Amino acid sequence: MTASSRFGERAAVALQDAHLQEALTIATTKFIGLRKDSFAGFPQGEGLRDQARAIKEATLQKLDHYLEQLADNVERLGGHVHWATTGDEARETILRLCRDRGVKMAVKSKSMATEEIELNEALERAGVTPIETDLGEYIIQLAHEKPSHIIAPAIHKTMGQVADLFSRELKERFAADPEVLTAAARKELRQKFLQADMGITGANFAVADTGTVVLVTNEGNGRMVTSLPRIHVAVMGIEKVIPSMTDLMVFLAILARSATGQKLSVYTTLVRGPRRSAEVDGPEEFHLILLDNGRSRQIAGALREALYCLRCGACLNVCPVYRQIGGHAYGETYPGPIGILLTAMLKGDRAVKDLAHASSLCGACQEVCPVGIDIPRMLIELRHRLDRERIAPLGERLMFGIFGRVLASPALFRLGAALGRLAQRPLVRDGRLRSLPLLFGRWTRSRDLPPLASRPFSKRWKDLA
Amino acid sequence: MKNQVRASLLVTCLVDLFYPEIGVAIVKLLRRLGVAVDFPPGQTCCGLPLFNSGYHDEAARVARRMIPIFSGSEHVVVPSGSCAWMIRKEYPGLVGGDPAVGSQARTLAERTHELSQFLVKVLGVTRLETDFRGRVTYHDSCHLLRGLGESQSPRTLLGGAPGVELVELPGADECCGFGGSFSVRLPEVSTSILDKKIANIEKTGAGCVVACDAGCLMQMSGGLGRKGSPVRALHLAQILAGSDLS
Amino acid sequence: MATRGEFLERIRREVRRAPGLFPASAAERPPRPGEAAAAARRQMAERWPEALERFRQEFERVNGVFHRVAGLDEVAGVIRDIAREKGARELVAWAPGELGLDLRPSLEPQGFSIAVAPTDARDDARQRHREAAARAPIGVTGADFALAETGTLILISGAGRPRSTSLLPETHVAVFDRERLLETLEQVGVMLEALHADAERSMSGGVISFITGPSRTADIELTLTRGVHGPKEVHAIFVGTR
Repeated sequence: MTASSRFGERAAVALQDAHLQEALTIATTKFIGLRKDSFAGFPQGEGLRDQARAIKEATLQKLDHYLEQLADNVERLGGHVHWATTGDEARETILRLCRDRGVKMAVKSKSMATEEIELNEALERAGVTPIETDLGEYIIQLAHEKPSHIIAPAIHKTMGQVADLFSRELKERFAADPEVLTAAARKELRQKFLQADMGITGANFAVADTGTVVLVTNEGNGRMVTSLPRIHVAVMGIEKVIPSMTDLMVFLAILARSATGQKLSVYTTLVRGPRRSAEVDGPEEFHLILLDNGRSRQIAGALREALYCLRCGACLNVCPVYRQIGGHAYGETYPGPIGILLTAMLKGDRAVKDLAHASSLCGACQEVCPVGIDIPRMLIELRHRLDRERIAPLGERLMFGIFGRVLASPALFRLGAALGRLAQRPLVRDGRLRSLPLLFGRWTRSRDLPPLASRPFSKRWKDLA
Repeated sequence: MKNQVRASLLVTCLVDLFYPEIGVAIVKLLRRLGVAVDFPPGQTCCGLPLFNSGYHDEAARVARRMIPIFSGSEHVVVPSGSCAWMIRKEYPGLVGGDPAVGSQARTLAERTHELSQFLVKVLGVTRLETDFRGRVTYHDSCHLLRGLGESQSPRTLLGGAPGVELVELPGADECCGFGGSFSVRLPEVSTSILDKKIANIEKTGAGCVVACDAGCLMQMSGGLGRKGSPVRALHLAQILAGSDLS
Repeated sequence: MATRGEFLERIRREVRRAPGLFPASAAERPPRPGEAAAAARRQMAERWPEALERFRQEFERVNGVFHRVAGLDEVAGVIRDIAREKGARELVAWAPGELGLDLRPSLEPQGFSIAVAPTDARDDARQRHREAAARAPIGVTGADFALAETGTLILISGAGRPRSTSLLPETHVAVFDRERLLETLEQVGVMLEALHADAERSMSGGVISFITGPSRTADIELTLTRGVHGPKEVHAIFVGTR
C-alpha cells in the first residue's frame, strides 16, 4: 500500500482534534435525524426521488438543447449569458465585468461553484472586495478557511471559536451565544448589502423553459444579494439546468428535506433576469455564467451520474469516513462521498489517487441521495482506472497482481495459507495475533487479528461428510 | 413426499481460513433442517477484495475459476453478505460476456443466497431451537443491508430463537469500518469508525454481537479483543447452531 | 472565451456519444396551462377552508404568526397592534393598488408613518423608498399565492411591489384572501406554467419569492437562530369570512 500520503496525514490530524470530533458528531447526527424524520412523514418522497433522478437523466440526454433554450430565455428577459469552458474563463468574465462597471465590493451568497473556481482570491487580487454573506461562509471567510461541508460550511467550529473570531475581527467583545453572534453578523453585513456594487450567487437550478435561475437559501442573503446591488452575476454548472417549472416543483419537494429536513427552505428565489423598469428593487444587469470546467466530459464518461448531484450534503452526513474526519481533511473544494467524484470530474483521476480509497463502500450515501447516485459503484470504477492508468503505486499493483494469482489458483491458495500458518506461529499470543510486521501491522496497531486456523474448513470437511 | 433440498456451501476465504467453526456450524444447522449439504472442492475466494480495490481483470480471473465449481448446484449458500452480493450483483456484469462462463455466472447469481436469506426465504424457517442463551445484539453488515436489501431475516431468526434475548443495536445500520482493504489503507479512520460501533455495542449490555459477514466479525472482534472486552462477536450460524458442534 | 456555438457544439458531441443510463423523461407538463390553472382555481374555490386551516398549521410550524379578520377594514387594526407591540412608528408597504388597500388613511392619524412603494420608479423616488425600507421595522405586502402544504407565501415582484418590503424590515406582514390559497407544490407548478405561458404576465416582475417563515440559520453549532439577514418575524393576515 502507499506510504503515508498527505490525505492520510490530514485524516490523522482530524481524528486527533477533539473539538472537531465533537462538532462533527453533533452536526451529522442532527442532520441525519432531521432528514429521516422529514421523509418518514412524506410518503410521496420515494416516488419523487425516482422522478427527480429521471428528470436529471432525461435532461442530460438533451443537455445542449436545454442550455440553448435557457440562454435564449435569459436573454429574452434582458439578461446576459456567458459561456465559460474553464474556471479561468469564468473568473475572467467576472473580473472584466468588475473592471468595466467600476465594481469595488461584491457581496456573495453561498456558491460552491465560485469556490470551485477560486473566485474570491481572484477578486481580491484585482482589488475587488468579496464579502461572503451566508453566515457559515462569513465565519470561514473571517477565519481564512475553506468550507468543510457542502451546506454548513462552518460546521467544524464551536460557538466559542466563532465568538473569539468575531471579537477579534469585528473589534468588539461578543458572548458565545448564537443570537448575539447572528445579530452581529446581521448588523455588519446589512451595510455591505446596501453598499455593494455587485451580487454574486450560484444557482441551484435554472429552468430552461422560462429562463429562471433558482436559489434555495434560509438566511435572506440570497434575496439581498439579488435585489440590492446594481449587478447580479450567477455562476452555474451546466448540469443545473432543468426543463420546466413542473420539473422544478419535483426538486423543490425533496431538496430541502434531504439537506436539512425542512419542507422548503425559508427562501426559494426565482430570478427572472434584471429588474423591470418600473421596479424599485432589483439589479439593472443580470449575468448568467454557464460553467463547464470538466463537466461535459462526463456526459459520456464514467461519472455521468455524478452530474445529477443537487448539492444537498446528505451523503456527507451519513458517510462513516466524513463523520470521522470532516471536510477539510479531503483537501478539496467538495468533500465527502460526492466530493471525491466531483474532484475527479474537475481535476482528473490523479487528483483522487488517495481519495478514491477514502471509503469503506458501505453504500449509506447512495441510500440517502435524493437522486440515487450510485457513488460506491463510481468509486470502484475510479479505483479501477487508477490501476489501469498506472496511477496506483507500482508496489500496490504488483501486490494485488500476486494476490489475484493466488486467489485464482486453489493450489497457490492452499500453499499461501500453509505458509501463513507457519509464519504466524511465533506471533500468536493467547489465541490472537497482536503485533504483526509490515502491512499487517496496520491492522494490529489498533486491533487484534484471529490467527489462521490450524485446520481450515476445506480440510475439516471430510470429518463432516 | 417433499424432495430433499440440496445446497452447496460456498465457504468464503475468510471463513475457510480464519473461522472454519462458522462453516461447521452452517453444515450442522442445514443438516438439522433436512438439507443435503455438499462442499464442492477447489474453492478459493469470490474475488470481492480484488474487485473493490479496482483490480477487475484479476477479479474476473478469480470469478471464472469459481463459477464452474458450482455448475451442478441447485442452491449455493454463503455465510457472508458481501460475497453473496459479489456473486449475485457483480458476477453477471464482470464475466457475463465470457463465452465459457457467462451464462453459468447468471445462473449462479440466481441460485446464490446469503445464509439468513436462505433459511427464511428459501426454506421458510423462522423459528429455530438452539441451546445458545443470552442477550445478543445484531449488526447489519453493509452489503447485506444495502446491497441485498436484507435487514429482517437475521432479526427474525434471532428473535425466533427461545433463550436468545435480542436487543436492537443503536446505529445497527452504520458501517463497522472494515471495508476490506480500507481497514489497512486507512487504519486510523477504520479504527475510529470501529470505536463508535463498539461504544454502541457496549450500550446494549449484550454479551455478544451477531453479524452475517466474517469481515465485520473480524473487525469487531479485533477491536473488542484489543480492549479486553468480554463481548464476543459471533456469526448468526454460531448462535443458531449453538453448542451442537459434535 | 468560448462562443455560444463552440460551447454548445462540444456538449452536443458528448451527448451524441452517450447512450444514457436508462430511458427517462422529464415531468409531464400540463398541455394547456391556462386551463389547468383555471381548473385549479375552481378546485380551490371549493377547498379553500381546508387549505386555509392547513396553511395556518404549517405557517405556525415554521414560526409564522397567523391572524384572521373578516374584512379589509380590520386589517389596519391588526397591523397597528403589531406595530405597537414592536414599538414601531414607521412602516413600508406595497402600493395601495397592489396591496388591495391603502393603510395611510387609518394609520397616519394614529401617528404612524407609512411609505408606500412608488409605481413610477424614478431614481429619486426609488432611492427614497429604498431608504425607507431600510429604516422601517415593519413591511406590509400582499401575496400572490399562499401554499398550504408548506406554509409558504409566494410574492411576485413588480411595479409598486418591491422586494425590499418583505426583506429589509425586521417584521414582514402579508395580507391575502381565499383566492390566493393553493394546497400543493404541484398546483404552484401549474400556476407558474400558466404565468409563463401568458406572454403579458410572464414579463411582470424580476423575481418570484417563496417565503416560508422568518429567516433562519443553524450555521453556528447547528443551533437554530431566527432573523439572520431577512425578517425575524413573519405575520400572515387572512381576510375573509367563514
